[in-house]
Amino acid sequence: KISSVACGYGFTLLSSNTTDIIKVWGMGLNKDSQLGFQRSIRDRTKGYEYVLEPSPIPLPLEKPQQTRVLQVSCGRAHSLILTDSEGVFTMGNNSYGQCGRKVVEDETYSESHLIHQLKEFDSRVVQVVCGQDHSLFRTKKGAVYACGWGADGQTGLGHYNITSVPTKLRGDIAGVNIIQVSSYGDCCLAVSDEGDVFGWGNSEYLQLASVTETTQVNVPRHLPFKIGKIKEAACGGTGNIVLTEEGNVFVWGYGILGKGPNLIETAVPEMIPPSLFGWSDFNPDIRVAHVRCGLSQFAALTNRGELFVWGKNLRGCLGTGRMEDQYFPWRVTVPGEVVDVACGVDHMVSMAKSF
Amino acid sequence: VSVLGIGHGNKLLTDLYNCHLTKVYTVGGLFGKATDDFSDTGKLVEKTTFDHITREKLERILAVIQGTNHKALLMHSNIDMKTQEAYELAVKGLIRPMGKSPPIITAIRCLQFALPEFQLEIHCLHETQQYLRKIVHEIGLELKSSAVCTQVRRIRDGVFTLDDALLRTQWNLQSIQNAIWDCQLKVKTELEKTLGHQDKSRLHEMDAAMAHAADS
Repeated sequence: KISSVACGYGFTLLSSNTTDIIKVWGMGLNKDSQLGFQRSIRDRTKGYEYVLEPSPIPLPLEKPQQTRVLQVSCGRAHSLILTDSEGVFTMGNNSYGQCGRKVVEDETYSESHLIHQLKEFDSRVVQVVCGQDHSLFRTKKGAVYACGWGADGQTGLGHYNITSVPTKLRGDIAGVNIIQVSSYGDCCLAVSDEGDVFGWGNSEYLQLASVTETTQVNVPRHLPFKIGKIKEAACGGTGNIVLTEEGNVFVWGYGILGKGPNLIETAVPEMIPPSLFGWSDFNPDIRVAHVRCGLSQFAALTNRGELFVWGKNLRGCLGTGRMEDQYFPWRVTVPGEVVDVACGVDHMVSMAKSF
Repeated sequence: VSVLGIGHGNKLLTDLYNCHLTKVYTVGGLFGKATDDFSDTGKLVEKTTFDHITREKLERILAVIQGTNHKALLMHSNIDMKTQEAYELAVKGLIRPMGKSPPIITAIRCLQFALPEFQLEIHCLHETQQYLRKIVHEIGLELKSSAVCTQVRRIRDGVFTLDDALLRTQWNLQSIQNAIWDCQLKVKTELEKTLGHQDKSRLHEMDAAMAHAADS
């Protein structure tokens, strides 16, 4: 039973919280060993650069029959795997330190067996998030750590250099209990337990323009939106989306934001009318339960298990049955109740419970 | 609910028809039997058990039906999804097939559930009675059992609801005239809303027609 799924830039990771030896499977691009070493059948000294079906990823666990994998996350060419008792495992490209280990000059990432383990955090890591070339870790105590590429300030550490060791973020989130972080491109959002949202990283597309004119923000800043308490946030490549406690969905940034072709960019969150998610006088109990972002797509899950998507439809990744871009939320017919969805650059994976 | 037009009202009927508003039905069903014409008066074809059916399972099937019909809505409504206009229509819930189309269900929910009987409320467009009975039959099949339709009752036709309907005892001139007056505003608003974005000049014609209908 798959419990967590993540889409990277051309590859996918699936994980189960089982105690069996094999807990994680991967498929897609493996040129940087983001799926670990996949031994080739033809030549046992070589590894596959493209994995065409979900294949097991062996992890160097101390207690493989006890430790459980809680969550997986994928970036451009690296992956993070979160376990309950053995910290975080990182694989893939490390040119910018996004795997949390020192950058080795001229390292060949292809066909690499190296899987790094990260354990040094203030408390247990409860969420891992991959941006394009950086990694974010959220701990139980509500702190956020980052490592990797920082030219857009996406590591939030106060500088624009790369970081190869996970370091704690300060700025406006120092001392704040963060309950969720999100990133996919070069912008990051974090939600606190009090319903506030903080952002840092790239702001070339007005993602953080509500607090600053600069296009790169390297320290977490509080975004003073007056839209209600925020429950969940998701970051895309150029657009952001949040879900409030009341169940309303707000979008801002640049791109196909979901309010028709006329809304291309906004620095201030705009609400998407709930009627687009199926809410009506006839169905007043419908609420959006989760929001997710791909690089240029958005997805929303309702409490009825329905999936709505919108954004750029690269190679049909929206799943609407058509190849055109979708300018406002549209329902995807899935043969089951959708439990979770992961969005990538040009593909999307959803986990559904059959009826 | 059956809508009748008098005199100039007949012209309005055509306009209302062109609005392609949804009709709402309460449909009663019975699990455990299957007949050849899907109703309970037809020839019995099959008998099945139904103890495994719960309200939750029924509601899940209803959700699937609603989903597949939602897609059909779009395909038949001939609106270019890339326009801002399409977005505005979607928000108002006006994406509907404005021409001929096969029957489409826009909303369906379970009103009552008492094994083996159940009652559904169905909002639909361009339907036939046989189509509604067939839906009941298919729901039975999806739940790994069978069902027949026991009752089909139209409770709403566009803007006219059960409350507007006149009982048999009220079929006299005074009541009819009162009813026309009451409905005038509702009809006008609906016509404006739906056809308004298509052709504003026709609205004036309709206004005149409605005033006539009420006076005569």
